[in-house]
Amino acid sequence: MKPEELARKLRREPVFGPAALERGKEALMAAIRQEVERRRRPAVVPQVPYADIRAALAFLERAFGFREIPTARFVSADGVLLHATVEFGNSLIGVGGQGHHGAVSPMSGGVESQFISVQVDDVDAHYRRAVAAGARIADELRDHSWGERTYWALDLEGHRWRFGQQMSDVPHS
Amino acid sequence: MSSPSDADVIRRSLGVPEAFGIIYDRHAATLLRFLGRRAGVKVAEGLLGELFRIAFERRTTFDPSRASALPWLYGIGANLLAKHRRGEARWLRASARMAAGEATDGRASAAALDARVLFPRVADAIEALPDDEREALLLFAWEDLSYQSMADALQVPIGTVRSRLSRARARLRELIEPNGKDMVKAR
Repeated sequence: MKPEELARKLRREPVFGPAALERGKEALMAAIRQEVERRRRPAVVPQVPYADIRAALAFLERAFGFREIPTARFVSADGVLLHATVEFGNSLIGVGGQGHHGAVSPMSGGVESQFISVQVDDVDAHYRRAVAAGARIADELRDHSWGERTYWALDLEGHRWRFGQQMSDVPHS
Repeated sequence: MSSPSDADVIRRSLGVPEAFGIIYDRHAATLLRFLGRRAGVKVAEGLLGELFRIAFERRTTFDPSRASALPWLYGIGANLLAKHRRGEARWLRASARMAAGEATDGRASAAALDARVLFPRVADAIEALPDDEREALLLFAWEDLSYQSMADALQVPIGTVRSRLSRARARLRELIEPNGKDMVKAR
């Protein structure tokens, strides 16, 4: 008998449970989901400090349509919410505590050193939603020569936000 | 419309990662059997997901000139098995005992006695092979891979596959034949 035929005699066909293939697929799909997630994650994430994180999260959702990612919450051992992440489209914003990492809320700092600019699908609807939720409008809805329609708002702690929609393809000049 | 080749699917999965699920659906059952033949049911079930996770993460290294991903997946599986050598050896010895038991079937004939002696000796001989020769022999004898597929799986030229196989055959012959008995013991 040829050596490989002898070796073949020792081949034993394993018998698997019905779920073996499903479990393997689940492991693969978890890896795939992880990569999809990683790709979606933007490289730059603005971190915005608030004196009251919970109030800020509620306001950002109600007024501006930012959705919190519940799994991204960072809570201290004694239950204090230290940091949360909200998403909008494919972008993320970190919502952190006042004074953490040297960042202060305009409510206590008295100045806004930055503003966040957000592109939305329907700026008129967005504006109505923000006003209804009690956002202070810093600059009314208006059209610009470059084809964009914008408004500016202040959130409940005075951070400045700019919302815009590109209405036509007028090139920037 | 003919279905896309593995290479097409993998290329697509670079932009749309979910597409890689198709590679799993096509080949997972084959790879599961491969792992199971080599290291038993339990190890195989544990390794299957890992094998495809690794394949997914390394999919940019797949040679797109190969239409089928199967040899590439075998290669990843063989690398994974290398970490389970002890379990593999145990499974092989158990297989030898079972093969001997089936062959003898309670009879006490001379042929049955031969099988009881022979199969454990074959198992020992396979175990005694250098890793690269054992891998080549088992991909050939158990998985029925072509030389080209083996070359793709082991990432060596086809000539290397041939020489590993012929060395494995020669060694096995030597170790199995009655006058090679001492060599089996001496490994």
